[in-house]
Amino acid sequence: MRTTTRRALVPLVALALLGAACTSDDNDSSDGDTSTDGTDATEETTATDDTTATDDTTAPDDTVEVVQSDESTLDAVIANDSVRCGTRDALPGFAVLTPEGDHVGFDSDFCRVIAAAVLGDAEKVEMVDLETADRFTTLQSGEIDVLVRNTTWTATRDGAEGATFVTPTLYDGQGIMVAADSGFGAITDLDGVIVCVAQGTTTEGNAANEANRLGLNWEVRAFENTDLIQEAFIAGQCDAWSADSTQLVALRSVYPDGPEALTILPEIFSKEPLAPAVADGDTEWAQAVNWAVLATIQAEEFGIDSTNVDTFSDSEDVSIQRFLGLEVEGDDGAAVLDPGLGLPSDFAFQVVSQVGNYAEIFEEHLTPLGLERGLNSLWTDGGLLYSPPYR
Amino acid sequence: MLKWVLQLVVVGLVVALIIWLYGNYIDNTAEQNIPTDFGFLDNPANFQITGNELSANAPIRDALYQGLLNTLRISVAGIVAATILGTLIGIARLSSNWIVSKLATVYVEAVRNVPLALFVVAGLLVVVLGVFPTIQDAWELGGLAVVSNRGVAVPWFVGAGFGLLAIGTVGAVAAWIVARWRSSVSDRTGVLPRSGLWAGGAFVIVFAIGWVAFGYEWTLPELDGRQTVGGIRVDPSFFALFFALVIYTASHIAEIVRGSIQAVPRGQGEAADSVALSGFQRMWYVILPQAFRIAIPPIGNQYLNLIKNSSLGAAIGYYDLTLVAQTTVGNGSPAVPVFALTMVLYICISLVTSVIVNYANRRSALVER
Repeated sequence: MRTTTRRALVPLVALALLGAACTSDDNDSSDGDTSTDGTDATEETTATDDTTATDDTTAPDDTVEVVQSDESTLDAVIANDSVRCGTRDALPGFAVLTPEGDHVGFDSDFCRVIAAAVLGDAEKVEMVDLETADRFTTLQSGEIDVLVRNTTWTATRDGAEGATFVTPTLYDGQGIMVAADSGFGAITDLDGVIVCVAQGTTTEGNAANEANRLGLNWEVRAFENTDLIQEAFIAGQCDAWSADSTQLVALRSVYPDGPEALTILPEIFSKEPLAPAVADGDTEWAQAVNWAVLATIQAEEFGIDSTNVDTFSDSEDVSIQRFLGLEVEGDDGAAVLDPGLGLPSDFAFQVVSQVGNYAEIFEEHLTPLGLERGLNSLWTDGGLLYSPPYR
Repeated sequence: MLKWVLQLVVVGLVVALIIWLYGNYIDNTAEQNIPTDFGFLDNPANFQITGNELSANAPIRDALYQGLLNTLRISVAGIVAATILGTLIGIARLSSNWIVSKLATVYVEAVRNVPLALFVVAGLLVVVLGVFPTIQDAWELGGLAVVSNRGVAVPWFVGAGFGLLAIGTVGAVAAWIVARWRSSVSDRTGVLPRSGLWAGGAFVIVFAIGWVAFGYEWTLPELDGRQTVGGIRVDPSFFALFFALVIYTASHIAEIVRGSIQAVPRGQGEAADSVALSGFQRMWYVILPQAFRIAIPPIGNQYLNLIKNSSLGAAIGYYDLTLVAQTTVGNGSPAVPVFALTMVLYICISLVTSVIVNYANRRSALVER
């Protein structure tokens, strides 16, 4: 037994030594190359990350290429002719998997908006159902192109999670829901209670912080998914149920005892901007996704929706002509605006005609649940929705 | 010679694969600005762990430590309970009582062939949420325990846990000395040693003296609105996971115990009968000591399985090491360092368990001279 182990170890050690020798050789030679190549090359090597430089032991040109990323997601999406969109399967109003196998909801529609903008066809989207805790690793690893899964935009997620967030699709805030017959009327009534939340969400930390701030004694209990929370809530293990207020409204609408069995308390105690996210380091793709989302907002501002978009083809308004990819009369003849986003010139037309503008998406999925537009109104109506100009 | 070359090639391929994967990891994380170091350990955890003293502002380091403690808690409790239950069922399978042996067989076959994850979820949905009452109708068992679906509150002591651990250690040493003394007396005079009884008595006496001397006190759990005060509350998720792990692992241990008992030479049992030992004495003094000699290595494997299976508690919100790691990653910590650290911790727990089992195995092995 002993001798076999030793026999197996010898080549391993030998190889390790050999490998170490080779690596150091490579390093030496590449260092030599850089110095002979002149100042430019040296600067390039020092500019790159230390780890990358030592790992990539070939010419400095290669090192730069690695940092700049191999291929844009936008090109990959066009090549695949499909957008892989990270979503979920059971949050009413946002994304629900129907028995027919379709995803229906607010978030699902924004997946379609992106597909319509990039590929010209809202149905060229592959919905990937994700658990809350797995969503960022899936995005980082490139298994999905974009994450539209009622995800809050926070600094840590922007930074350490390797995600880049675009314009929020919904401005939300965390609230608390209790049983209607529990006698709780305000958040300050909740002392010495168990508050149930979903695992791996910002909700978990917010609830703990809010209890601290108000000096209330809450036990925050986390569950893997909303189905388990509902079971626990029905069984009386939880006194209160905390989540983003839009989500609470959605969950209440499908509560087994009917929506009137639950009361959502009036207090909102956090900022939860829900935004689509893409992987870090691919600005081109992030911009494409961002402008796809902005197109729905801009369309509403122009009063363009899926029913009347065709009537705008002879619009005299220059900004509408630019927006819909129509020819604009200029000093040197008529031309279609190409802002260089890598999107087709008629992307906004495709988004609005195939999916709709922001108001249509909101009213189709969220208004039936009893949600008000509130913060999610256009800036002209006192809301937060504001698209930079398309020109 | 060819053998050597082949081995070298295989090792070379493996090393190349590792280097390639590691290079990919470094490149990809650099591209997306994801940190690869362990600086995240000092960031605030931003979540509470039910049943543990951990404020939401505590660093991730502390959260992982609490997760590790929870994994150890469920593992130790599960191992003890599964061993006892498994041994009883293993013996029951060989019972001459037809009903007892068939019931044990049904138990083993039914439980062994159902996935553990099902027991874990059933532990929560059926046992805790289905059977246990709400806090308003909690069962107060004679003032000693309060059982509800928010947890099982039991009496607990007030004072430093470390001091109590020290007293327990002194008690254990005293028990060991008394047991050694009893067995030497038995060797000299031939009276029954009854070491267990004597050692247990010694432990209780030492513990009681320490308890009084250091001023420890009991607190009893009481209902207070929607919570319990006093005593200690065992989290319902702990209860559900404990239930699942014990039920499941016991079915495997039972089979090992049954096989080991059957592997003890028949003559041993007959010899015990011939000196007129009772059924219990026959099993306790003659058969089981020899059966466990055979059973220790495979039972050790079951212990390792139980420790690793405890990570299934993540599904029902038991904050073990795995769930803390998952939550930490969900809150923004880099996945690779977090899970690398978690893996190392699991490996450490498993290796320590192996060392203990191997030690027990060596101690119980037949000494051949």
